[in-house]
Amino acid sequence: MEFQAVVMAAGGGSRMTDLTSSIPKPLLPVGNRPLLWYPLNLLERAGFEEVIVITRKEIQKMLNLDTKMKLDFVCISDNMDMGTADSLRHIHQKIKTDVLVLSCDLITDVDLYKVVDLFRTHDATLSMLMKKTHEPTEVVPGQKGKKKPVEQRDFIGVDDTGKRLLFMANEADLDEELVIKRSILQKHPRMHIRTGLMDAHLYCLKKYVVDFLVENRSITSLRSELIPHLVRKQFSSPTSLQQGLDNREEDQKKKEQASLDIYSFIKEDNSLLKPAADNSCWNDHRGDMNETLHEGKVRCYVHIMKEGLCYRVNTLGLYIEANRQVPKLLLNLGLEEPLVHGSAQITDRGMVGSDSIIGSSTQVGEKTSIKHSIIGSMCTIKDKVKITNCIIMNSVTIEEGCCLQGSVICHNAVIEKGADIKDCLVGSDQRLETKAKHVNEVIVGTEQLMEI
Amino acid sequence: MAARGTARRGPGAGGSRGPDPQEEPPPPLQAVLVADSFNRRFFPISKDRPRALLPMANVAMIDYTLEFLTATGVEETFVFCCWKSAEIKEHLQKSKWCRHTSPNTVRFVTSDLYRSLGDVLRDVDAKSLVRSDFILVTGDVVSNFNISKALEEHRLRRKMEKNVSVMTMIFKESSPGHHARCKEDDIIIAMDSATNRVLHYQRTQGLKRFRFPMSLFQNSIENVEVRHDLLDCHISICSPQVAELFTDNFDYQTRDDFVRGLLVNEEVLGNQIHMHVTTEEYGAHICNLLMYEAVCFDIIRRWVYPLTPEMNFTDDKNQSYTHSKHNIYRGVDVSLGHGSVLKENVLIGQGTVIGSNCSITNSVIGQNCRIGDKVTLDGAFLWDKVHIADNVEICHSVICDEAEVKEKVKLKPHCVLSSQVVVGPGITLSEGTVISLHPPDEEEEDDDQFSDDSGVNKEESKVKLKGYNKKDVGSEGRGYLWKADDKNEEDEEEQRQSLWGPALHSEEESESDSDLSMGSEELDSRAASPQLDDIKVFQNEVLGTLQRGEEENISCDNLVLEINSLKYAYNIGLKEMMQVLSKVILEFPLQQLDANLDSQNYFSALLPLLKNWTPLFKNYIKRASDHLTALFAIEEFFLEHDSLCTSIAKVLMTFYQLEILEEDVILNWFSMRDTSDKGKQLRKNQRLQKFIQWLEEAEEESSDGDQD
Repeated sequence: MEFQAVVMAAGGGSRMTDLTSSIPKPLLPVGNRPLLWYPLNLLERAGFEEVIVITRKEIQKMLNLDTKMKLDFVCISDNMDMGTADSLRHIHQKIKTDVLVLSCDLITDVDLYKVVDLFRTHDATLSMLMKKTHEPTEVVPGQKGKKKPVEQRDFIGVDDTGKRLLFMANEADLDEELVIKRSILQKHPRMHIRTGLMDAHLYCLKKYVVDFLVENRSITSLRSELIPHLVRKQFSSPTSLQQGLDNREEDQKKKEQASLDIYSFIKEDNSLLKPAADNSCWNDHRGDMNETLHEGKVRCYVHIMKEGLCYRVNTLGLYIEANRQVPKLLLNLGLEEPLVHGSAQITDRGMVGSDSIIGSSTQVGEKTSIKHSIIGSMCTIKDKVKITNCIIMNSVTIEEGCCLQGSVICHNAVIEKGADIKDCLVGSDQRLETKAKHVNEVIVGTEQLMEI
Repeated sequence: MAARGTARRGPGAGGSRGPDPQEEPPPPLQAVLVADSFNRRFFPISKDRPRALLPMANVAMIDYTLEFLTATGVEETFVFCCWKSAEIKEHLQKSKWCRHTSPNTVRFVTSDLYRSLGDVLRDVDAKSLVRSDFILVTGDVVSNFNISKALEEHRLRRKMEKNVSVMTMIFKESSPGHHARCKEDDIIIAMDSATNRVLHYQRTQGLKRFRFPMSLFQNSIENVEVRHDLLDCHISICSPQVAELFTDNFDYQTRDDFVRGLLVNEEVLGNQIHMHVTTEEYGAHICNLLMYEAVCFDIIRRWVYPLTPEMNFTDDKNQSYTHSKHNIYRGVDVSLGHGSVLKENVLIGQGTVIGSNCSITNSVIGQNCRIGDKVTLDGAFLWDKVHIADNVEICHSVICDEAEVKEKVKLKPHCVLSSQVVVGPGITLSEGTVISLHPPDEEEEDDDQFSDDSGVNKEESKVKLKGYNKKDVGSEGRGYLWKADDKNEEDEEEQRQSLWGPALHSEEESESDSDLSMGSEELDSRAASPQLDDIKVFQNEVLGTLQRGEEENISCDNLVLEINSLKYAYNIGLKEMMQVLSKVILEFPLQQLDANLDSQNYFSALLPLLKNWTPLFKNYIKRASDHLTALFAIEEFFLEHDSLCTSIAKVLMTFYQLEILEEDVILNWFSMRDTSDKGKQLRKNQRLQKFIQWLEEAEEESSDGDQD
């Protein structure tokens, strides 16, 4: 076995609490499938047979997935606030080989081998996936004003081939300047600094990185701590590192110093591979006569997707966007299932747009038009309803003459006659009164708000 | 190029005084050649011969530059001379450039008043010499670059967006560590890879890490490319606007000033700079002897083809060479003694006589030299009429016109003998020795480096009064030692760094400390902002304000107001503010009274001030970190003024008693370990230790009291 796959599905979805307060993030329906299905499917397509899923008890109970893979659920307790690195550390005993870590909110049609091949070719410590961020096109419910608040940008430095990851910094950590060490540019004189890239949270990591994590308990997050650390470590030499640690990490001094050094975790190549690399006429750099693989023991690579779909469903806006793109994705994946489930009862077939998905046992009344929308199972939609650009989850009742546009309606909501809703989020079990009119609102129960 | 004919430019485009090209082809290409470096980098060699006329592979540098310009299609060249302009003029008048057949008309502009490139370009503007886009080069550029593609791009850009792009800089791609890359001239560039626009241009000498202002990374530019693999050829295609901009900004002295000014003020002026990168062609700028050596070898090794010695592009009958394998070039009438070997990369000028059993490799020998028997030359540059006696060894050194090296002299690497110097016999010149007939101390008197020849004559008479130091130059030697191997105090002057410039290393040394920095990175970047100059000015302003406050008895509240407004005006952070304030107040007595106070007087002068201005401190020093900053500033002050060191305890005591600084913080500061040696020394001060002890005891008491 070359890789073990780990899916992180314990996160709370803290950036879209309106949705996740009632439905845990891994279970959010996207195209009438739980979000978690997508990363699992990605792994299955790549030929994985076993997957470790880190999740929470209640999520595991509610999960109902059809997959041929053997899922090994590891539950972490609810009240523990564990970061992604903590989670990986938690299961380190199960890790026997290099790992592929995915987040449960990744929806992509990338060919996984592209990321993995980078890892293999360069004997990399880390390889990851990135994609240009999407410009949000649609109005997001409850969001005032057109513009999204400007997020902290990430600066990603890649070399001339666009594969080697040289530099990583977040705007939040920088003052007015971006600082690049001379030694990096000495080795890689051309560096492209890109902004507007989204990290897909898909990481191939060497086994020794997990060992390193086990010893370094101060690292809690993969994305914001471990990965930048690895990227930086590419350009420091092992010998000087020891002194560096002495001066730098005062607080970590109490711990054993030797254990902190990532280099000490790197195992030498086994006897067969080492001479193979030395004798090979292939190398992955040009212009000098150095070793086969680029100098330095830690090597980080990134695959930047130029085309194809790649979404991380971590905000409401992205959730809506992902739902919109999913019919296309499912088609690309060659899934045979019809978009409209067999058991759905639809009176006027002609009124249902070809890019809409309708779940099982849902009833749709007369003269009801459904366009660009996703409707869950067990829903009841009465007559003369207009639904455009909506996401409607399971067991939702929509009565006569409603008009819904660009909205998200969560489980078990009831929308009474003649309601007119535009760009809204309606929480679970909500009841909207007759002729209610809402534009760009978030309608969730007060109790739920209390929970947040 | 067809597009140019059809698209008409509106009236007024293309610079205010350039004729409108309308439908005709562009006006003849012009060039501005600055045959002066405006620095003393090549002293003392350039005392005898202007830099532009230094021989590179036996051809004056300026000839390479002119050949490059002519080959690339320039039809009119303005040569600007200043230092030794007569010599340059004379040289060019004899050359093929001033013949009638020359496709490139050379015009001279000489003035003793030029002090910088800026002056030259302001003169270009004042005299309205250029009509349209022109090429700007210095007289020490060697290149075989074909400018036409870059020029086309430049013109296209200017047409697309009227007068936005004012300059296209030419770079050669060469990776770090390339021998033609000179550390002194090394640059880092941030560019927009889609448009080739230069976003950031910086010299990298002595920098461990490069800083890029965040403003570069706007969303409109998707891909900012940072390039450290470029060699600045010092060739630029300029629009007439460049000259105008130099006139408008009289503080621009060099091209660097110009580029920096333009990039910083891009938003205001709306001018942009673009770049063109060549990968195949050659281009280099000779800024020190190391580069001189590197470029010479490149010429001999034919990297600058077609500018190779045997081409005789200067069309001088004394310059005809035959080229044989291993890059051996021989002029006419060269005689080589029995048993002498020319190994590789050797150029020998016309009429040179070489004795027997010599070994010569990687060397350039000028015309009419005499070389004795059993001479070893490796990396030697002999100019014309040099005499080398028997049994001499020369390694990586430059020997100028008519110099003489007597028997059994050894020249270690990087020696320079300027013209007519005689050394020997039987001495060894240590590494980096520079010997000239001009005494080195004369340079200080002669602060006008561009003085004309009459001045030189005067100096010569002075020379005769002083004797030559036989220890330096040998018993029969003539010349003064400029710089021995051990660096004396004299190289504080920037231009007088070693003639050779910093050597190229393969850059291993930066690694070790680069790693240390990981944690401190943030600290560094914070400390560097904002610009130092601003702080200086601010400091003076604060000082002025306080002085006035003292004289006119202005209340502290008003002082605070004034200082606050200054703080905003200069955009000073709170931290810097604190440093400046502490420093200014501590320096105040020094300003008021005479500078050399003993610590007793100093303190008695300071005490009333501190008492007066307590509210001032209290206004700014609030948080614990502020206390610490103030303490560091105090520490820094006392480190700078050693003589006052003894009063630090008293000063701190006063601060403590006035309740400006808290005891915790003082103790904290005192126990801070990562300080410099000096800081440690300071902390060993007895009084200070007593004071700290006293504080500690006081604290214990008070905490004991709490427990009860």
